Amino acid sequence: MESGSNGNNRYDRYHIETKPAPDISEWPTRFTVEVGKIGLAKELLTEIWHHKFQNWDVITSRPCMYGVFSGPVGGFSPQPEHCVGCLRCTTEYPDFVKVSHNPERKKLGDSYFTSNFIDAISYEVEQGMIPVKGAGYRGKFGGDGWDGMWTDMSEIVRPTRDGIHGREFISTVVDIGYRPNMLTFDSQGRPTGPTPRVISIPIPLIFDNPPPSVSGELIWKIYSQAANSIGSLAVLPLGAILEHNLESDHVIPLVAPEEQENIDLLSGTPLMIEMDGWDEQLHRHIHDLFPETLICLRMPFSSSEELLAYNKKGIHVFHLLADFHGQGEDGEFVLDLIRQAHTAFVEAGVRQEVTLLSSGGIIAAEHIPKAILCGLDAVALDTPVLVSLQAEFSGECADRNESEFNMPNNLDLDWGRQRLMNLTASWRDQLLEISGAMGLREIRRMRGEMGRAMFMVDLESEAFAGIEGYEYG
Amino acid sequence: MNTDKSTQVKIVEKHIANLHAGYHGRAEGLFPAPDALGDFRWTDDLILSTYYQAEYGRPPENGMEYRTGRSGGGFDVLDFKFLPKVDWLPTEAEIDISLPLNKRGEGRKITIDLPIYGGGMSYGSISEQVMLSRVMAAKKWNTYISTGEGGYPSGLVEYKDNIITQVATGMFGVNEQTIKYAPIVEFKYAQGAKPGLGGHLLGDKATDTVAELRESVPWVSLFSPFPFHSVYSVEDHRKHVDWIKTTNPNALVSVKVSTPTDVDMVAVGSYYAGANIIHLDGSYGGTGAAPEIAKKNIAMPIEFAVPKVHNYLSNENIRDEVVVMASGGVRTAYDVAKIIALGADGAILGTGELVALGCTRCSNCERGRGCPFGLTTTDPLLSQFVTPDWGAQRISNLYGSYAYQLRDILRKLGLTSIGQLRGRKDLLRYLGSEGNGSSEQDEQG
Repeated sequence: MESGSNGNNRYDRYHIETKPAPDISEWPTRFTVEVGKIGLAKELLTEIWHHKFQNWDVITSRPCMYGVFSGPVGGFSPQPEHCVGCLRCTTEYPDFVKVSHNPERKKLGDSYFTSNFIDAISYEVEQGMIPVKGAGYRGKFGGDGWDGMWTDMSEIVRPTRDGIHGREFISTVVDIGYRPNMLTFDSQGRPTGPTPRVISIPIPLIFDNPPPSVSGELIWKIYSQAANSIGSLAVLPLGAILEHNLESDHVIPLVAPEEQENIDLLSGTPLMIEMDGWDEQLHRHIHDLFPETLICLRMPFSSSEELLAYNKKGIHVFHLLADFHGQGEDGEFVLDLIRQAHTAFVEAGVRQEVTLLSSGGIIAAEHIPKAILCGLDAVALDTPVLVSLQAEFSGECADRNESEFNMPNNLDLDWGRQRLMNLTASWRDQLLEISGAMGLREIRRMRGEMGRAMFMVDLESEAFAGIEGYEYG
Repeated sequence: MNTDKSTQVKIVEKHIANLHAGYHGRAEGLFPAPDALGDFRWTDDLILSTYYQAEYGRPPENGMEYRTGRSGGGFDVLDFKFLPKVDWLPTEAEIDISLPLNKRGEGRKITIDLPIYGGGMSYGSISEQVMLSRVMAAKKWNTYISTGEGGYPSGLVEYKDNIITQVATGMFGVNEQTIKYAPIVEFKYAQGAKPGLGGHLLGDKATDTVAELRESVPWVSLFSPFPFHSVYSVEDHRKHVDWIKTTNPNALVSVKVSTPTDVDMVAVGSYYAGANIIHLDGSYGGTGAAPEIAKKNIAMPIEFAVPKVHNYLSNENIRDEVVVMASGGVRTAYDVAKIIALGADGAILGTGELVALGCTRCSNCERGRGCPFGLTTTDPLLSQFVTPDWGAQRISNLYGSYAYQLRDILRKLGLTSIGQLRGRKDLLRYLGSEGNGSSEQDEQG
């Protein structure tokens, strides 16, 4: 699992093999294009008359460069799938060409995972590339949650980095597990106290167990094979792992207390097991059965006291859950919840000894560095994985258990694995952009680096203090 | 396209005629705004009112909102506290909107006629025709444009007195000659739309002529690395300034930086390294191509950076020795006035000028042959859609409208010069977190 070397001790630079993986399910186009046929016919006749039945190249020259009017009957049968919304056609022919946002496209997703996020992921998973576009930012100024946070950059002094091409040397490796604050040794130099037990993964992204409405051998295989391909981890139900023979170093069994007996059926020693909620007996059983295996506690975001109490009981890896909209049980947003959890362990002096993973509300590439800056070690992706596989939301999908997602009927293992590889490659590259701008050479150093985060509430209060009508917060 | 030259000319003429008619019709409201036009920052009204100003040289009076967008923050939640009408200065009052660009005791004195100049847009990212349009307008208004980092097309040399030479990390088009041309040399340390990431010209736009000017290989993507490999400290920056001053002792020096959390410290360092102008480029600025993740998320918006820098320089007692210019999301005359009230001396425009030439902010600048309106492209056919005379008049008209509005704002505040507005946050009012942002304006991505 250690990245950076192979069995021959030869250095391998981490790389995710991307290749195009177009949609398999037809989604509505981004734009609709309406051409008034009478208007177009009139225009054609006018031009033919003007040019006296000559200059056909001029007469048939149309404004679109992207192929919307390139069918056999040109503008009479526009092809909106090619439309990029440049609006040149409607600027040249405002009286009979209309370009609109497609309301059907806008219906994709739900009120949190809006179609704009889906558009971004759609490009990322098709191409495996970073979305690059012209023109400046188009959205809201700031806002709540992730939108109220900016990341820092370093202007001139860059002791840790050698230019933009230095991004190849930014490490995205993170460790999951337990690192004692200090090691102790006896007089013979042998360790006497606890020793580190960590899994190093090459990117701070793992795949979280899909919700109950999305299950089945094919889905689980896509998750496990994608995790294997990128060298990361997938959390999958113990039952599915046993039934479909999915055991591997890249699959983390998720075990509910009532499944305790089934753990014994695992043929190998898992690197980590995730307990679905605290259960003392289950914890002891796992520990007794697999003493070297890391035990992760999956639980909702909780109070500092509760987290520290579990830590005292021997939990060093926490997988903290918000709902799919990033809300905790008391309505707080995941960004704040991460900061609270991180701070709790920092103040208790044990942050180095624990790993914080989280799921819920982290749905875009920019959310990854922001979550890490707030204190996470790694993100367990949930709904972005489903969107990558072209899942359709059935109404509002906030609840982790009740939400309904409809998967394409023609889902394919190779296609699904490639889409998840493309997603992680694109998000990793974007993480490199952000860390490169900061001058950070490894993502491990980004964790909890609040000095490199800027929050709208703070910036605005500093800038707008004294302006009539402005009140802090 | 396999067509002879006369046919190409006719095709270009046809589309120019259609486009001009379209800009006019939309600005006049003869046709409804396209549903897909506009976004939170540049609303359909802002785009079409800019068309209007570019055509008529004054703000529209047909109800279009030409002052603010609907982003729900920054400029869009600020307004001016105008005096009661009886206290306004008379319309014939002399109101000075000129801006001196060198406030140090030594060096050449340069004053521009309005507190605005044009930001860096390189040859390659835009066409030579658009560059000419911009600089011809700048000449009319006794102001400047910046070359961006792409060299000096020969057609621009006759306008060199109104052109700032940009020195960026790739050093494209930077040589002794282009430094000697320049009344102002601008060091670009970072760009607001992609702070910390350097520049990027996609291969499709690196045509033979672009490559020749940049001394590079045609059709190969060009990266300007980040940061300057020769600058790792303020002392290194000082050496850069010395290099420029040795080559061209008369040039003023501008330092273009982005807006990190320590932007105030960067500004002070730039001042002590010898800068005459500190150019702050906020994160919501324009670009020919940038990773989407960078546009929203890295570095702070200009509305937050300017007061921070203004206060810090004031506390250091050096505020009156350096000019602070702001860019990155300055869309309207009202934005210009607001950023000055927040502490800048003036503003730098980019996107607004392109909108005046027909830009719809569709974000396809980098795609294939480039801009379908002939702006951000070097495609031989597309770039003919903008003729320099037409473009210069449009931008000049926009500047005229801005000048009119700036004087009008000052008059209603009882001020007689733009300098009196600087740092006057007390003349602003906060409209609440929704401000003008309550619209359902769509966000086209």
